[in-house]
Formats: sequence, structure tokens, C-alpha cells
Amino acid sequence: MNRYNREIAKIKDACYSKQWQLDTVIGIKPYIDNHYQDDLNLDLFSRIKFVSKYHLLRLYKRYYGLTPKQYLIDKRVEMSKVYIRDGMSITEACNEVGFESLGSFSALFKRKTGFTPTEFQKSNFREVE
Amino acid sequence: MKIKLLSIPVNDQNQALSFYTEKLQFVKKLDIPVGGDNRWLTVVSNEEQDGPELLLEPAPKEFRPTRDYQKALFEAGIPYTQFDVDDVQKEFERLTGLGVEFTTHPTVMGTVKIAVFNDTCGNLIQMVEIL
Repeated sequence: MNRYNREIAKIKDACYSKQWQLDTVIGIKPYIDNHYQDDLNLDLFSRIKFVSKYHLLRLYKRYYGLTPKQYLIDKRVEMSKVYIRDGMSITEACNEVGFESLGSFSALFKRKTGFTPTEFQKSNFREVE
Repeated sequence: MKIKLLSIPVNDQNQALSFYTEKLQFVKKLDIPVGGDNRWLTVVSNEEQDGPELLLEPAPKEFRPTRDYQKALFEAGIPYTQFDVDDVQKEFERLTGLGVEFTTHPTVMGTVKIAVFNDTCGNLIQMVEIL
């Protein structure tokens, strides 16, 4: 066994020994990936995983480094970029990824990408030209 | 400031280009002569062709400390860098079928699954799937 594989075994014992905690959080990410358009919230995740939402929130943040809501926002912004690149209007892309307010979508998009949706749309249009 | 380029030291650029395009299915982006038989040779992910470029850099051939560092990491089994995949097990089976050698077989580490393979250019590469 090389040094790296020995280190992996050590980290598994030290950081990932509580399998029940891992079982609680694993599966939420693919659920978000497949249902990002829906009205997802912590109450729903806690019902799916049969744990309190505060417990779930703490565990998720501990093992993934961000909250389920933060991951959901990242996923929605990422998918909206795909839809805008594919030619969808900004309003359509906003609705398609599950945002109800165009204002909050635009603000989040700007914060996450550094561009407003309109700037992003124009820059991609120029690239196509 | 933007992250546009990341580099990986390779012993042989021709061999590296073959491995990264034929086995890993990356796409060649830039290939510019830079003196001698060295090239500014970059590849991008087939799934994200507007994403960061990976420079296949001939540094170990030209610069002893890079060669020593690369060799030390390789001998310890430590990956030089890592790439994301959707399904580690599936990619492990695909690459194994193409003759790629793995030093760490698919292993679950908490909320990720990892595996490490030899890129035949002096480096170990880790692939990771977030569970």
C-alpha cells in the first residue's frame, strides 16, 4: 500500500467513521440535481431523510461545506447559464430553473457569476457571432 | 483576474496528448511551437470546452526540480491533480478496459467517491464523484 492509500485509510477513520451521519446527507445532492426546478426546502429534505431539519442542516454543512440551499442556488444559476446559452430568454430561464422573482434571480446571478443575466446573454451572443 | 489555465508537468508531450485526448476524451485547444521540440499545448474537457485549459507542460524534461517533485509525488501515490466525473465506477471500468492502470480503486471517502490512475506521463490523477 502506498503512502496516499494509507493516508486515505487514516482520514476515513478520523473524519468519516460515522456512517449513519453520512447516510443522512448522501442522496440530497442528486435529489437537488434532479428536482432543482421544484419548490425545494429544508422541511422537504428532513421529511425524506427522517431527521430534524436543523440536524440535517448542520450535518450537510459539515460534510459538504455548504448548506442544501446554497447548493440549490448554485445548481439553479449553473442551469440558467445553460438555458441562456441555448437561446432561452432571461425570464424563461429564470422560471425554468425555479426562481419566482426575476429581481432575486438577477441579483443572485450577478453575485455568483460576476455578470448580470443580460451581460451574460450578450457576451455569449457575441461569441456565437 | 480569472482562472483560465492550469498546468500539469509531462515527460513527453506527444504521449500526453494521446493519453489526454484518446483515453480521457479531452479536446486539443492550442498547439503552438515554443522552441526546440517544445509546444504550448493545451487541452480542454470535452464536456466543458469553454472551461479552463490544461497545459501539458514539458517542464520535467527541462527543469530538474520539477522532475524530482513529480517523481516524489508519483512514488508516494499522491495525485498531481483531480478531475470531476459523474460516475467513478463507470469511468474506472471504461478506463481499465482501455488499459489504464489504477493505483487507488474506486473508494468511498465520506461524501465523495475517488479513484487514482496513472496518466503514463509521470503523474497520478485522481477522479472524484460527489455523492
